[in-house]
Amino acid sequence: MSESKKWFSLDLDLNKKSESSGTCGCGNTQESCGSSHKQEELSAEEFYEAAINASIGDERKKDGFEQVFDVQMDRRDAFKKLTASLLIGAGAVSSCTSVVQGADSKEKAQIDWEEQFKGNYKLMTDDEKKQTVDRLMRSYELRTGKNINMSSKNAEEDVLFGYAFNISKCQGYMNCVTACVEENNQDRKSQMQYIRIHEMKDGKGFNFNEADDNYYHEVPAEGHFYMGTQCFHCDNPPCVDVCPVQATWKEEDGLVVIDYDWCVGCRYCMAACPYDGRRFNWSKPEVPENEINKNQHYLGNRIRKKGVMEKCTFCVQRSRKGKNPACVEACPTGARIFGNLLDPDSTIRWVLENKKVFRLKEDLGTEPKFWYFMD
Amino acid sequence: MRQLKVIRSLVIDSLDTITKGSKKYHLWMGFLTLVMLIGMYCYSIQLDEGLSVTGMTDRVSWGLYISNFTFLVGVAAAAVMLVMPTYVLKDIDFKQAVLIGEGLAVAALIMCLAFVVADMGGPSVLWHMIPGIGVFNFPNSMLTWDVIVLNGYLFINISIPFYILYRHYQNKEAKKNIYVPGAVLSVFWAVGIHLVTAFLYQGLQARPFWNNALLGPRFLASAFAAGPALIILVLAIIRSFTAFKIPDKTIGKIAMIVTVAAQINLIMLVSELFKEFYAPTHHSESAYYLFFGLHGKNALLPWIWTAIPLNVLATVMLTFGKLRKNPRILYFCCFILFVAIWIEKGFGLIVPGFIPGPYGKIAEYLPTGIEVGVTLGIWALGAFVFTILAKTAIGIELGELRFKLKKMES
Amino acid sequence: MKNKNLIYYLMLFIVVCFYSCKQEGEYHSITDKIEADQKPYHGNLSSEELLAGTDLIQIIEGEHTFLIPERKGQIKSYACIECHSKPLNEMKGVDSQKAHWDIKINHAALETMDCATCHNPDNMNNLKSLTGKDIDYNLSYKLCAQCHSRQFEDWKGGAHGKKVAGWAPPRASMTCVNCHNPHNPGFETRWPVQFNTQKVKERKDDLGH
Repeated sequence: MSESKKWFSLDLDLNKKSESSGTCGCGNTQESCGSSHKQEELSAEEFYEAAINASIGDERKKDGFEQVFDVQMDRRDAFKKLTASLLIGAGAVSSCTSVVQGADSKEKAQIDWEEQFKGNYKLMTDDEKKQTVDRLMRSYELRTGKNINMSSKNAEEDVLFGYAFNISKCQGYMNCVTACVEENNQDRKSQMQYIRIHEMKDGKGFNFNEADDNYYHEVPAEGHFYMGTQCFHCDNPPCVDVCPVQATWKEEDGLVVIDYDWCVGCRYCMAACPYDGRRFNWSKPEVPENEINKNQHYLGNRIRKKGVMEKCTFCVQRSRKGKNPACVEACPTGARIFGNLLDPDSTIRWVLENKKVFRLKEDLGTEPKFWYFMD
Repeated sequence: MRQLKVIRSLVIDSLDTITKGSKKYHLWMGFLTLVMLIGMYCYSIQLDEGLSVTGMTDRVSWGLYISNFTFLVGVAAAAVMLVMPTYVLKDIDFKQAVLIGEGLAVAALIMCLAFVVADMGGPSVLWHMIPGIGVFNFPNSMLTWDVIVLNGYLFINISIPFYILYRHYQNKEAKKNIYVPGAVLSVFWAVGIHLVTAFLYQGLQARPFWNNALLGPRFLASAFAAGPALIILVLAIIRSFTAFKIPDKTIGKIAMIVTVAAQINLIMLVSELFKEFYAPTHHSESAYYLFFGLHGKNALLPWIWTAIPLNVLATVMLTFGKLRKNPRILYFCCFILFVAIWIEKGFGLIVPGFIPGPYGKIAEYLPTGIEVGVTLGIWALGAFVFTILAKTAIGIELGELRFKLKKMES
Repeated sequence: MKNKNLIYYLMLFIVVCFYSCKQEGEYHSITDKIEADQKPYHGNLSSEELLAGTDLIQIIEGEHTFLIPERKGQIKSYACIECHSKPLNEMKGVDSQKAHWDIKINHAALETMDCATCHNPDNMNNLKSLTGKDIDYNLSYKLCAQCHSRQFEDWKGGAHGKKVAGWAPPRASMTCVNCHNPHNPGFETRWPVQFNTQKVKERKDDLGH
C-alpha cells in the first residue's frame, strides 16, 4: 500500500458503509467479499473503489465479480479468493454475523482470515512483512486492549552471530534459563525451556548420559561442572533441510529461525536436530498477561500457537538491535559470550582464536556456531 | 458423452452393490462405521486440545501415528509383488489377486495419508505443502519426496484397476498397451515409495539407530513379507465369503513370495543385531534400549520380544514346503508374521530412534487412549475403503455388474 | 516401445537425482567462511545508545582498546582523604567514628595479603601496586592483574567477564570489581533459580503404571 496507514482503518470504513446499507461486507457477491479481504495487493484508491462497489452496489462502475477479476492475481492470491468463496459458508458467515457484534470483532475476523492465508515470511517483501506485523499487533490490541511492539527487522549486513560458552565459569545457577523463559514468552504450563544446563561429574569427561539437566540442590555441587546447551544455530542445519514447507531457515546473520505461522507441525525438524534444540507446542502456550514481554519480533518471541515448533533465536528481537541475548545478559558468571563472528575485533573472535574451543558432535558436519572453551 | 454415461452407471451400480449384502456384511460395515466415529471423536479432542493428549513429548516426538504410517507404506508397496508377474511376466495366475492387491494398496495409502494428517500439529495449514500455492521444499526435504511418491502411487493404483474394471464393466477386454506401461511404472514406483520412506529416517544424522545403510533394504524386505501376507489373509477371507474364485496355485505363489522376503528380512535382522551387539558403540544404545532396556526403562521389551519369536517362528515354518501348503498353517504363519512386522517396523523402529535423546536422556513413550482411538479409527477407515473397493471389483469380475445388462433391463 | 518408455523414465529419475544434490557451499567449514568474509564492523548497529547512561572510561591495554565503567563515582565515600586526612598510623587510637569495621578479607592467605597489600596507608586516595606505585581507583584491574595475569589476559581479549551492554561496538566490558568483591572475590554457592517439575514428570512418572 502506498500509504503508511494501517490497512484496518480503511477496512473500518468499509464496515460502516456496509452497516448503513444494511448488508455485510460480503453481501453482494461472494467474490467481492474475497476481494475486500485482500487489500494488500490493491492500492488505496483501488481498494476504496472495491469497498464502495461491495457495499453500495455495482452501478458505479463494475459489478463485484468483474472487480475481482480485474485485479491482477498471483497464484496464491487466486487460491485465497477461491477458498474465500468455497469456504464462504464457514469463514465468512462468522464475519457476516459480526455486523451485530460490532466493527471490532469483524475486524478481528478479517485479520484472522488474512493471517490464515498469508504467505511464507521468508519469501515476503519488506512491505508484506510490515503488514503482517501490523496485523498481529492490531489483533493483539483488539483481543486484549493492550499494545505490543513487534518488529520485522531484517538481518544486518556484515553480521554473523556466534556464541561461546565457558565451561569453567558456569556454576549452574540457571539464571540464564529463567531470563530466557521470561524474555521469549515460553509456555509456562508445560515449562518449556530452550536452555538445558547439564551437571556433569568431574573425571567422567563430557558424559551427557550420566549428567543431570534438572538438578535442584545448592550449586556448584562438589565434584561437578556445568555445561549449557541450546540451539547451536548450525551453519549447515539439518533441521532446515528436512522441513517440507521451508517454515524454518537460516537468516543472513546466521540465525536459524521459524515462521510460526507457516509451520505445519510435522516435527521432522525435531527428529533431525542432533542437539535437542527444538521444542514443540503440544498444547496452546500459556503466558500470564502481566508476564508477557511486549518487545517482540516476528521471528522471535511473539506469542506462539498450539501445534507449531519453536526454538532459541539468540533473542533475535534483542540481537538485531545490538543487544546481547537474554541468557548472556543474565549470566552472573560471565560464562556466556556472544558477538559478531565476521568482526575481527569482536570478543567472540578473540575467544575462537586464543582459547582451545570445541563444539559438540562436530563429526556430524552440522557446523554449529556455538563453541565451548575452558579457562 | 457415452463415457460419462458409463461412469455414471458404474457409480450407481457400485453404490447399489455396496449398500446391499448379507447380514454379516452389514454388521461388518456397521462395526467399521462405529469405530470410525469413535476415531473421529478422539481426533476432535486432539484438534481441540492439541497433541498434548497423545503420549508424545519433546523427547519422543513421533509415536503410534508415524509407526503405523511407516508400516502401511510397506503394505502399499507390496501390491507390486503381484503386479509384476501378472502384467509384465504374463503370468495369468495372479490376475484376480492383483485387483485385490491394488485395492489393498489404495486402502493402505489412504490410511498412510490419514496417519500423516493425524500427526500434524496444524492440519488447517496443510495447504502450505501443496506445490504452487504453498512452498514445497523439493528436493531438499525427504518428506516432500514422500508426498510426491505416495500421491503418485495412489494415483497409479487407482487408475490401473479402474481402467481394467471399467473395461470389464462394459464387457470389453482391457487393452494391454494401455495398462502395461502403467504397471511397469508402478513396479519402480512401489520400490520408490518404500525406499523414500526409509530415507526419511535414514537421512537423519541425529538418530544413529536409523542412520544406517541397511534401513532401506530392510524396509523393502519386511514390506514384501508383511504386504503379501496380508493379501493372503484377505484372499482367504474373500474366498470363503464370496463366489470369487482364487485358485490354490495363486495363494501358493504368493506364499512363496512371503517366504523368500521373510527369509531375507531375517538375514538382515541378524546382520543388524550383529553390528549393534558384537562391538557396541555409543550408537548402539537405542538397540540396547529396544532389546534389553536401558537404566531400568524397558517399556518396549514386551513388544519386541513378542515380535522376534513370532517372526522367527513364522519364517521357519514357512520355509518348509509341506507346512506352507497346509492352508491353516499358512494363514496362521501369515498372521503372526504380519503382527511381528507391524511391531518391528512400527513401534520397534520409530520409538527407539528417539531413545535415548540427543543428550542421553530417556523419556519413555506409551500411546494414550485417544491416540489408540484415532489409530483404530484410521484402520477402520482403511478396512471400510477396502471393503467397498473389493466388493465393487468382485462384482464386476464375477459379471454381476455389467453396463449392457443394466441397459437392457431398463 | 516399452524399453523406450523405461529409458525415458530412468533418465528423468537420474536428472531429478542430480538436481536434488545439495548445493555444495563455497566454503568447507564455518571457520573458512568467517575468514573469507571478515571485516571490521562499521554497520548500523551500535551499543552507544545502550551505554548512554553509564560513565565510561577508555583504556588501552596492549592491542586492546575498550571502555570500562568509571569507578570512583560509584564509591560512596570517595574521596578517601576526606576522612583519611593523615596517614593511617597517626589516625589509630584517635577518638573518631569507626569505619570499614564490617570488611573482612577473604582473599588469599593472610601471609600473602592484608589491607596494606593494596591500600597505601599513607595515601588512601589511590591503590598501591606491589612495588609501591600508585594505581588509580578507576584502573583497579591493574592491581588485580599483578597476580591474576591469566585472567587478565582473558579479560583483555573478552573471554573473561561480562560486557556492559550489547555485542555491537564500541566494546564496553565490566571491570574486575563490577562482579567480584575485592575483599571477598569468590562466588557463593546458592540454589538454582529454576526447577522444572514437568521434566521430572516426563522422565520418572513411569508412564502411569
